[in-house]
Amino acid sequence: MRPFRADLHIHSLLSPCGSLEMSPAEIITRAAGKGLDMIAVSDHNTTLHCELMVTLGLEAGITVLRAAEVTSAEEVHSLVILPGEMARISFQHWLDEHCTHVPHDPHLFGDQVVVDRNENIIGEIDHYLPAALSATLDEVETEAHRLGGLFIPAHIDRPAFSINSQLGFIPEDLYIDALEIVGETPDLLYPVIRNSDAHIPEHIGRRYTIYMLDHPSFAELAMALRGEEGRHIIQPEK
Amino acid sequence: MKVTEIVEKLNLKILSGHEGLGREITSGYTSDLLSDVMGHADAGAAWVTIQTHRNIMAIASLRDLSAVIITCGEIPGDDTVKQSNEEGIPVLGTDLSTFELTGRLYTLISRS
Repeated sequence: MRPFRADLHIHSLLSPCGSLEMSPAEIITRAAGKGLDMIAVSDHNTTLHCELMVTLGLEAGITVLRAAEVTSAEEVHSLVILPGEMARISFQHWLDEHCTHVPHDPHLFGDQVVVDRNENIIGEIDHYLPAALSATLDEVETEAHRLGGLFIPAHIDRPAFSINSQLGFIPEDLYIDALEIVGETPDLLYPVIRNSDAHIPEHIGRRYTIYMLDHPSFAELAMALRGEEGRHIIQPEK
Repeated sequence: MKVTEIVEKLNLKILSGHEGLGREITSGYTSDLLSDVMGHADAGAAWVTIQTHRNIMAIASLRDLSAVIITCGEIPGDDTVKQSNEEGIPVLGTDLSTFELTGRLYTLISRS
């Protein structure tokens, strides 16, 4: 076992707030340049770039995990990290079912395009992706775990779209695998990780977490968050 | 003004917390950010929100609020209802928007 660096919160250009430079190919190149061993692509309420990124990651020797940054009905953002492609497909169906179809205006909010490996646009999403789903935070957590995934409330110390801003405090009966923080490490009962929440290439890896793992993978990450068999979080780096 | 009067005058549905219908409402607070309500709502306020998560009851209790009014026809979950009954803080419902309900509540309270 050895330490591996991971940044598990990166937006591609599919997120309206993601820079158009954030193509899957560019993200992989940048992540490699930053010495990251593992990343997760986590667009707002969609997983449509995951497969391409997994493929590009394989070619470049970077483990890419399938994820989404989900907006619950309470407008709490959480990372849902999925164990594999079957789970991703199921989760995408679930996202589609709970979509509230807020109309999207690219001029106001930015483009929401799906691209191929050569950065050709092959699709466009016509509803505003970050809009709150009809599912509550409890339902997001339940679905993430039903699919064998990880449920990680995002940027909990930010004043907007965080579990603390929206709900005042962390409900103690919520099953949380880890909390993502941006600033100082608070004294919490949960595992704490840091990620970049990058929307532009320069921000990839600006925050990351080092994990002690056998190899970078979803299963190893899950073990590290639970502190099983020697796997653990070494340090969330700013 | 008692919670029962507001229920009657604004035609609200009593969703839970019947024990607290005699509570006195002295002001109002409108916000959907629980972190904001936690820091700023005054004791005795009626809180107007579209949030239905059970945490609303913990915050209503913490700030000693008199009632929670849920707008836009949103329905609180069983756990919220249960906690409302335990705390004796009524949860009231309306199909009106937050804007309309707040306007009517403000008029009522400022006249009393």
